[in-house]
Amino acid sequence: MKTNSFGYKFRQYLLFAGVTTFLFTAVVIVPFFYGLYLTFTKYDGVSTSKPLVGFANYISAFKDTDYWVSLGRTFIFSAIAVVLVNLFAFVLAYMVTTGIKGQNFFRTGFFIPNLIGGIVLGYVWKFVFNKALVELTENITSGNAKSLLATPTGAIAALIIVSVWQYAGYMMLIYVAGFMSVSEDVIEAAKIDGCTGTQSIIHISIPLMSASFVQCLFLTITRCFMVYDVNFSLTNGDPYGESALAAMHVFNTAFTNKDYGTGQAEALILFVICAVVGGLQVYVGKKAEVEA
Amino acid sequence: MKKRVVSLMLVGVIALSLAACGNNGGSTQGGSDSGVKITILNSKTEIQTQFEEMAEKYSEEKGVEVEVYNADTDTTVASQVATQYASGNPYTITMVDAKDIYSLADEYAYDLSNEDWASHTTLGITVNGKLAGFPVCVEARGLIYNADAIEAITGEEFKPENYTTLKDFTALLDELVAGGMESPVGILSEYWSLGAHYFAEVYEQQTDPDAFVNGLLAGTEDLDSNDKFNQLMDTFDTLKKYNYAKDSAANADREESSMKLAEGEIAFMFGGNWDWSVINQYDYTENMGIMPVPEDTTDGTNTTLVGGGSKYFFVDSSDSTSDDQRKAALDFLNWLVSDEEGNTFLTESCALVPAFDNIDAASLDPLSSSVKSYSDSGLIANYNFLPDDHMTVVGQEIMQKYLDDVIDRAELASQVEEYFKGATAIPH
Repeated sequence: MKTNSFGYKFRQYLLFAGVTTFLFTAVVIVPFFYGLYLTFTKYDGVSTSKPLVGFANYISAFKDTDYWVSLGRTFIFSAIAVVLVNLFAFVLAYMVTTGIKGQNFFRTGFFIPNLIGGIVLGYVWKFVFNKALVELTENITSGNAKSLLATPTGAIAALIIVSVWQYAGYMMLIYVAGFMSVSEDVIEAAKIDGCTGTQSIIHISIPLMSASFVQCLFLTITRCFMVYDVNFSLTNGDPYGESALAAMHVFNTAFTNKDYGTGQAEALILFVICAVVGGLQVYVGKKAEVEA
Repeated sequence: MKKRVVSLMLVGVIALSLAACGNNGGSTQGGSDSGVKITILNSKTEIQTQFEEMAEKYSEEKGVEVEVYNADTDTTVASQVATQYASGNPYTITMVDAKDIYSLADEYAYDLSNEDWASHTTLGITVNGKLAGFPVCVEARGLIYNADAIEAITGEEFKPENYTTLKDFTALLDELVAGGMESPVGILSEYWSLGAHYFAEVYEQQTDPDAFVNGLLAGTEDLDSNDKFNQLMDTFDTLKKYNYAKDSAANADREESSMKLAEGEIAFMFGGNWDWSVINQYDYTENMGIMPVPEDTTDGTNTTLVGGGSKYFFVDSSDSTSDDQRKAALDFLNWLVSDEEGNTFLTESCALVPAFDNIDAASLDPLSSSVKSYSDSGLIANYNFLPDDHMTVVGQEIMQKYLDDVIDRAELASQVEEYFKGATAIPH
């Protein structure tokens, strides 16, 4: 049997990647290009006619100051959340790989928030912020306490707290894998050379597990930029619409305000920004990777 | 490399053609020898269970398979309807808001003007001469009161008609405060309540709402000097003053406020008869009702509620629905109005205020019977043509600030005027 003929290779390809390619095409490629097409039309979401309008949607997207404000808010939110998520994840990962008692239990425990859907998570934390914490502070200070969710800055802070709580466990698992991949030999050699614990983390473990950092940063950056579910159930833009992040603004423009074309154009801009930021980060990160 | 690209493309093409096949298969469902099947989208999620039970019974009795879908809670009804139309698989009967009917009617709604029930309602929606919307129920907005809580302090029977002016109402609030109810009012901070329910009355209570809104859109109306705006905002200020969550108004969510009202911790809350489904989750009293928002006015707007038909059914007119399905859908709507079982389903199982004069409703919940008694003598109509982003901008970005005392009334007026200048009007 010829193994280098086109037919053979094609069959092999179908056998191993056919289903994936089909799904990927059906749920990513096709909708993406259809979405691209929609940005050039005037469409209210239900009508059968989609007249072409050229770049009008992009122009109105650029003129939509609320969108750019929400995008700026998303940048701030993401910057803080990404740093905190990775910091917490790394520290947690370090702690659960040092061989403390019950470390598997802790690993599971920290990971569990990630298994709760974002919508549910938002409602749970809404209760915590609005009721539990308010009640608690009122009891301690015996005065009237404002919920964190009642002020714009507080609402963003609340979003960051919840995101950290949600993602730190997941990223921790990746860092744990990173720690495990660093061979004992290297660590031992460092120890013999007189490395302290901190030094061996900074100079040995971290460079050797830079692949984990690249991956975690990429995941957190893209997730933070696209966050919608927690935003929806935790704040829904309250107060004053000043906690609406970019994805929520896009949804509201497209569906609540029935301006499908502009919403789609704004979504595409968000995609491009995400892709550029994520791509750059991976490119820079890959360069920093070292081999043991 | 080149070969790989070619094979990838081939797979893509196969994938596409497969997807296309799937689509065709989907749209020919129903109308086959297994009997007719119709689908209904229910966007009143609180009655989904009752709806499903009814559908099962209806299917058995009439031999028409009825499948009821619940609207997704994480998206808007309009976007869900859009998805179904985009995939060529629309619901036979779709329940949407009044506003959606206007945007959908021309293309997708079947003309219902020849139906028997059409003469029994004044609330149907006609678009370009075509009766497109079947009113599912009547809903109205006003001030919900807990009469038990009030009477416990005042010691006399609470008659809402005695408190139509702000002066009388404030006197009552003061009496309640003096009697030990620290803050007798709850204001929902949700933007749909502030924007689409309370502030909307500023337009709806005008003598000519359409002219007023058009004036705002054209930038010729002045809110500051508008009587209606000031009257309603005076009342709002009073409500704010007695709000139990005054210090952190944004913390007051619907659940908590409804609970306090049900249990008599507060006596008033602005809302509508749909709030009963939340109130009855708590330790409630039957002695409740809805009264018009008190106002210092002489134009009579403080003697009735604002409301009208809420949620409309439309029947799909596109080719995706077969004639048999359409006939079954029309039969179903007729059944709701003219069959006793249908009536019972509407007024008893779902506790809805019927929009048809031939249906009597004796066993409604307290809030709905208030609405029914006001609607029998006429409600102030809903205004359905506010710009689409009115609720998020005026409700969330502006009214929430006013509720929180971040802006004062002059700023409120100028921001709303400013918003309208840049808003997109709804053609009608």
